[in-house]
Amino acid sequence: MNKVSLTRRKFLLSTGIAATGLIVGCSVTRANEIGYSTVAGAFEPNSFIQITSDSEVIFYLPNNEMGQGILDGLTTLIAEELRVEPGAIDVRHAQRHEDYTNPEMGMQATGGSNAVRGQFLPLRQAAANAAAAVRNAAAQQLNVAADKIVLVNGMVDVDGKRYPYGQFASLAATLPVPENATLRSAEQFDQIGRERPRLDALAKSTGTALFGIDAEVDDLLRAVVVRSPVIGASLISFDATEARKQSGVVAVLEIRNGVAVVAESYWQARKAAALVDIQWSKTELSSWSSDTLYEKFVETLNDTSQKGLECCNEGEGGSLLENSAIVAVADYYAPYLAHATMEPMNCTVQIDGDRCAIYVGTQSVQVSAGAAVYYGDFDAGKVAMHPAFLGGGFGRRVIGDDVAEAVVIAKQTGRNIQVVWSREDDMTADFYRPAALVRMQAGVSEQGVIETWAVRRVGPNTMNYVLDEWVDALAPDFLNKRFVNWLSKFPHSLFNRFVADPSSGDGIYTDYDTANKAVYHVTQDPGLRTGFWRSVGNSSNAFFKESFIDELAHRVGMDEVQFRLANMQKNPRLKKATELAAAKANWGQPLPAGHFHGLATHSSFGSAVAQIAEVSIENNTIVVHRVTAAIDCGMVVNPGIVRDQVEGGIIYGLTAALYGEVTLRDGVVQETNFHTYPMLRMAQAPTVDVHIVDSQEHPEGVGEPGLPPIAPAVANAIFKATGQRLRTLPLKLS
Amino acid sequence: MIRFQLNNNPVDVDVDPDTPLLWVVRDHFKLKGSKFGCGMGLCGACTMHMNGAAVRTCTLPVAAVQGASITTIEGLGTPDKLHPLQQAWVEHSVPQCGYCQSGQLMSASALLATNPNPSDADIDTAMNGNICRCGTYGKIKLAIKAGAQAINSATVQTFDPRAVETQS
Repeated sequence: MNKVSLTRRKFLLSTGIAATGLIVGCSVTRANEIGYSTVAGAFEPNSFIQITSDSEVIFYLPNNEMGQGILDGLTTLIAEELRVEPGAIDVRHAQRHEDYTNPEMGMQATGGSNAVRGQFLPLRQAAANAAAAVRNAAAQQLNVAADKIVLVNGMVDVDGKRYPYGQFASLAATLPVPENATLRSAEQFDQIGRERPRLDALAKSTGTALFGIDAEVDDLLRAVVVRSPVIGASLISFDATEARKQSGVVAVLEIRNGVAVVAESYWQARKAAALVDIQWSKTELSSWSSDTLYEKFVETLNDTSQKGLECCNEGEGGSLLENSAIVAVADYYAPYLAHATMEPMNCTVQIDGDRCAIYVGTQSVQVSAGAAVYYGDFDAGKVAMHPAFLGGGFGRRVIGDDVAEAVVIAKQTGRNIQVVWSREDDMTADFYRPAALVRMQAGVSEQGVIETWAVRRVGPNTMNYVLDEWVDALAPDFLNKRFVNWLSKFPHSLFNRFVADPSSGDGIYTDYDTANKAVYHVTQDPGLRTGFWRSVGNSSNAFFKESFIDELAHRVGMDEVQFRLANMQKNPRLKKATELAAAKANWGQPLPAGHFHGLATHSSFGSAVAQIAEVSIENNTIVVHRVTAAIDCGMVVNPGIVRDQVEGGIIYGLTAALYGEVTLRDGVVQETNFHTYPMLRMAQAPTVDVHIVDSQEHPEGVGEPGLPPIAPAVANAIFKATGQRLRTLPLKLS
Repeated sequence: MIRFQLNNNPVDVDVDPDTPLLWVVRDHFKLKGSKFGCGMGLCGACTMHMNGAAVRTCTLPVAAVQGASITTIEGLGTPDKLHPLQQAWVEHSVPQCGYCQSGQLMSASALLATNPNPSDADIDTAMNGNICRCGTYGKIKLAIKAGAQAINSATVQTFDPRAVETQS
C-alpha cells in the first residue's frame, strides 16, 4: 500500500498541485470545494484515506455523486472499518488517477449501478488496513499490547482511556501498513445497514452544494454554443456581424461542432447567439422524420431476409415455436428519449498557458480529462480536474462532449470560459435512449410453461456512439489523433454489422426459465446519436418483455403472479421480490372501485425488482395512485437510500411511460423544453412503498433496477382497467 | 442602475435591464444556490421570493425588481441556522442530486408563510411549478408537513403571548 501512496504523491507533484498548493482542500459535505493534496504530518495509508495530526479523517470519493447516494454509501464503508462516525469524515471528490479506477469498469467512471458492488470489499479493506496501522502505531507509542486496544469513534481506547487517532498519525506514517487486515463480519456491522439522514442532505438543503455550473474563477467569460439543429451536420459558413456588435460580446468563433459566442455575461452571450446566421450541411439524418423512420422500422421488422445479429440462441432457438399449444405474437415500440437532467450540461475551463483546470459535474473524471487532452491539445499531466456534484447524471454525463467544446473555446480565446447549455441546447443535443420496434413471439403449453421465447428487434444501438467518444478521450496521448479518430469510428461497423451490442438485448430474455430462446437484433439507425439512459436497454426491453408475459398469462388463463412464479424457478431472487411485492400490495384482494393492479418483474444490474401499480382511468386519463415495489439487492448499506433510489427510478420511468417521446422532423429533434417534453410533477406522482428483501448476499445495484418494471406494471394495469393492450410508449389511451 | 434588497441587504447593479434576475444573483452577486433549469419558468429551479411571494427568476427581468425585496435560498437559512423546512429536508433526507431543492424550498417556504397548515391538495398546487427529476416528491411532501408542524409548535411556544399568559 505504501507503493500506491508513492504513486499518488508522484502524480500530485507531476500535476503541480502539491508543489504549488494550487488547490486548498475542503469538504464537499461541508464547504464543498474540491480538494486533493498531501497533508504534512498526516497518515496516508492509501489513495483513499488521510488522517491528519489534528485527527481529521479525509476520504477521497472515487465515484461521482449524482443523486444516487454514493457519497453516503462509500463513506459508510470507510466508517465501518475505520471505526469513525460517517458524519465526521471529510469527503472530497477524487481527482483523475488510476488508483480510482472503478473495479467493475476498468476506467474511472460511475455508471452501471456498480459502485457499491465493486467497492464493497476494496474500500473496506483500505479502511481496515488503515485502522490496523493506527492500532499498531498506538500500541508502540503507548507501549501496550495491540490486543488491549479498541478503536471506537475515531479514538484509540486503552482500558477506557481514549486518545484521538491524530496522536498516532505521524508514527503510523513511518510504519508498514498491513495489507490484509481482518474485515468486520456482517454480525459486527453497526454502520453498514444503518438508516440515518444522508451525508450530503445539509449542503443540498442550504444551496451550498456546488455543482459544475456553480464554478467561479477569476476573469470568467461565459460562452454559448450554437450547434447544428441536425446533430452532426457541419458548418458551411456563418455571419456573426450583428452578434459581434452586441454589448458584452468578446469573441465569436467557429469550433468543431458550431459557433461559440463569448461574452462577459451569460445573458449577453445568449442574446447575441440568437443573431448568428449559420449555413449547415445536410447529412443522412436530415432525411429522417419520426413517421418515415417508424415505417422503415416496420419494413425491416417484416423483412425476415435480414436475420440480424444474435443476442441469444439457446436450446432449439425459435424453431419449435409453432409446436406449442398456445402461440402468441405481438409487436411493441419504444421511442427515443432525452435525459433532461435538472442541471443543463455545462463546463468551466480555467486556462494558464499550457495548463488548464476543468470544473465539471461528470460521471467519468477520466473521460472528461481525456476530452481535454484530445480536443484541447493539453498534456495529460497538465490537466487538473475539479469534479463537482452532478445535477443529475442518468448516463448523460459520461460522454465528455461538454468538456470538448469548452476546452477548445478556452484554448482559442486564451480566456477562462464557462459554457452554459440552455435547456433547449441540452434537449436537442443529447445522446438519446434509442428507439426500438420488436416482435415478441412465444410458445406456451396449456399448463402455462413457456416453451419458446423468440424476439426480433429493430432499431439503433448504443455502444457505438459512446465508444466513438470514449476512444477519442481514452486513447493514449502519444497516438496520432487522426488515427485515434479513425479508430473511434470502428465500433459503428462492429456493432451494426458484426456483433450484437449487449445494450440492445439487455434483459429481454434472461428472467424466465424457457429452454428455447432466440433473440436477434437488426440495426436500423437514422444516425441520431444514442447513449446510456438510466437502466440502458432494460428501460425499453422490460416494457416489451413484461407486457408480453402478461399477455401470455391472460392467454393461458393464469393469475399474473402465479404465471410468473411458475416460469422463474431458476431465478430465486426475482421470485422472492415478486412474492414480497404481491404480499405487501395485497395482490388479488379487492381494490377501491375502478382501481386495478398491474404487475411487472425484472432483474437488472444484479438486483431483482417487482412492482405492482394501482391504476385507475379518470376522464380518459391514466392515474397511477400507488406503486408497491420490492427489491432484492443483496446486503444493504443504507436502507433509506435504497428505497429512495427505487422510488426515484419509478418516477423517472413513469415520466417516460406517460409522456416521454423524442421525435424528429427532417433530422431535427422537435422537443425543446419542459412544455414539449413534459415531466411528472408532484400532483401526478404516486405514493411509492418500497420493501427490501432481507439478504446477506453481496450488495448489487440500486440506482437503475427500480426503473424498468414501472412502464409494463402500469400498462398491465391499464389492460385490466380498459381491455386495451397498449404496446407503444408513451402509453396513450385510444 | 437598479436597486433592490437582496437577503435584507440593499444592493445595486448596472447590467442590461432585461437580464433575468437569476443571472444577476448567480453571476454578479455570486450567490450560487438558486439554479438555472429551463429559462422559461417551467421547472422552478430558479425560484426566489419577491416581496415574500415565490417567483421564477429565469424569466424575471432585473428591471422589474427595482425597489423590491428579494430572498434567495441563502437568505432562507444557513447550515448553522436552518429554516425549519431545511431542518425537515435534512431529517427526511429529501435531496438526491439536490439541484432542484433550493427552488423546492423557496416554493414551500412561500406556501407556509401564507398557509401554515396546507392540505395535500394545497401542497400539490403550490409545488406544481417545481420539477424534480430524481423523484423526491413524496419526501418533499412529507418534509413540508413536518416543517409546518415545527413552525406551528415553535410559534405557539415562543411567540404567542396568549400561550405565555395561559402558562402563568
